[in-house]
Amino acid sequence: MKRLMSFLLALCAATASPAVRVVTTLPDLADFTRQVGGDRVTVDFIVRGDQNPHFVEVKPSYMMKLKSADLFLTIGMELEMWAPQIVDGSRNASLDVVDLSRDVRKLEIPGKVDASKGDVHRFGNPHYWLDPRNVRAMIGGIVAALAKASPADESLFRSNAGAYLKRLDEKIATWENIMKPFTGSKIITFHKSWSYLADWLQLQVAGEVEPKPGIVPSPGHTAEIIRLVRSAGIKAIVVEPFYDLSAPEQIGGATGATVLVLPTSVGGVAQAVDYIALMDYNVAALAEVLR
Amino acid sequence: MHVIRAACLIVALLLFSSPVGISIAQTSLNPDISVIPRFIIRTDDGEKLAEGKRIFSQPDFQFEELEVAVQSYLNPFSRADVILTLPGPDVEAGKLGIEELYATVFRGLPLDLNVRFGKYRAEFGKLNLVHPHAWPFATAPLVQERFLGEEGLNDLGLSVSVLLPTGDVYTKLTVDLLRGNAVAGAAGMPDTSGRKPAYANSARLMGFFPLGDFSDLEIGVSGFTGIHDPYERDRFWYANADCKYKYRPDTYTSLVVQGELLVNARHAHQDASGTPFLDASGNPEKRSITTSGLYVYADYQFLKVFSIGARYDWAQSPSSADVRSRGAAVFFGYYPVEETLGLRVQAANVTDRSPGVSPAGTPVEDVRSVNSITLQAVFSLGPHKAHPF
Repeated sequence: MKRLMSFLLALCAATASPAVRVVTTLPDLADFTRQVGGDRVTVDFIVRGDQNPHFVEVKPSYMMKLKSADLFLTIGMELEMWAPQIVDGSRNASLDVVDLSRDVRKLEIPGKVDASKGDVHRFGNPHYWLDPRNVRAMIGGIVAALAKASPADESLFRSNAGAYLKRLDEKIATWENIMKPFTGSKIITFHKSWSYLADWLQLQVAGEVEPKPGIVPSPGHTAEIIRLVRSAGIKAIVVEPFYDLSAPEQIGGATGATVLVLPTSVGGVAQAVDYIALMDYNVAALAEVLR
Repeated sequence: MHVIRAACLIVALLLFSSPVGISIAQTSLNPDISVIPRFIIRTDDGEKLAEGKRIFSQPDFQFEELEVAVQSYLNPFSRADVILTLPGPDVEAGKLGIEELYATVFRGLPLDLNVRFGKYRAEFGKLNLVHPHAWPFATAPLVQERFLGEEGLNDLGLSVSVLLPTGDVYTKLTVDLLRGNAVAGAAGMPDTSGRKPAYANSARLMGFFPLGDFSDLEIGVSGFTGIHDPYERDRFWYANADCKYKYRPDTYTSLVVQGELLVNARHAHQDASGTPFLDASGNPEKRSITTSGLYVYADYQFLKVFSIGARYDWAQSPSSADVRSRGAAVFFGYYPVEETLGLRVQAANVTDRSPGVSPAGTPVEDVRSVNSITLQAVFSLGPHKAHPF
């Protein structure tokens, strides 16, 4: 009987539908996918956490990742301008490309867009995953995409998503509590990556080290920021790990403000092993500097 | 009735009046259009060499070329690329021509084939696929000029590529059937585009090898065969090996080392100057010629906006091993906002050696060494795609 049971279990495992093969652009999306999919998904991602997601070279090795994938999850809003070339190069006719920005609340949608404004994203600021309140909509998109790929597992995906969102809601309350004393505090950022986080935590981004998005800091603009930091008593200059620290350190040296290197993605620092750990790290670091 | 119609019109206007929504929809259906001109200021010391004088010429400010690219998806399975060119130096008298005009089917074919047809730069070696405005240097390597011609291997044809089953390693085989127009141009023969085609074939096998988070290596081997002399129907064969290594730890720094070696074997009835080969009896004869050429360059990007590099060239003539050239160049680039604006400065030397005859009638080697300085300015108007490896 035991032998028969073992045989039947092995037979079930052998004939069970294979895991959904998912590739994501950012490691944050990979984390969400693992949380929702569990062992019913295999997940890989393209951009490292310490890498600038705007500028990714179109490498054949990325095309190979997509070649055998079922799903390709993206942030969208033209953050990943390199993605279509990788999708086309993968030659995967059955790849489902999912843009997770559909139901998120979008900030900074520009009016007129042209190159004089720098690297402006015409659909709005795409760094929306840094507001954890947007993760609910992203998880919804991931559940829908996974359920379409593996309908038999839909209830599992929804159950996993519900459990994760419950945990996330508790953490959101904790983070908001930590940052409550700093409501209205002004910060400087290197790039317009932190608008969603600032909006959520009611911080005010008073200026950027870049004169315009994607344009290297100029001496004149740096001097302006120094004047701004001094006059407003700004304590924090927030920079991602993939940006050059020369201009931020010059501003910090001239004003006493702290240059705070914060990751925007999972893996951006060693401690950011998943999205919750990423936000734990960023909130704790901000609170420490703004205190 | 009029009131109902007016109400419907107002409702329709309100529903569809979102400027962002409509403009984005319209924008996404329009093709990508880009305009890329190149200008140069050049001086060299070759003008008075025959008089034994080495004097740099007055710098000549010239329009080099204008490219207009119109590119878009045709449907979910294919895309089209149209690249028009207006060559210099006369910006007003130049004639707009077709640099490339092709469609690519990249999805939905059996075996995941890619098929391309039209006029295009064939995948022969690595550099032939790259347009001059995207080079880190201002002038073409000698081997490309001599063996592929000023426009490179750019011809009417049909290309089929397939990814080979090599596991996680990207390996691709591309095979082209070309009309042979480019070959005739490269060999200095009269343009044969109106004549009966003498088809040419090319192929490239490449592999891409990630060497870690920051380094990648691409290796390729290519072959090309065609008729270089349409009058005698003389055939040539090219074999080419290419290699590109890139180290890119972040967006501010990168190092590229790239090189190609081309070996040419051909039958010919005449030498490089057009003089027929004659046998001992003075009758025209066909000879086998083997020559080669290579380039290797390194380009180092630093502080995101600057780059500095050097290149070594060596090339024989396609039709004579006695005609050979050696070149060396150093170049510096400044790209303040990626490829939207670029300035390049290049200092180069090209030394040509060829058989000659002394005043006494004895064979000598003619040597001509020319130094040049080139300043090149490029701007790129329009959307910018991500950079391929």
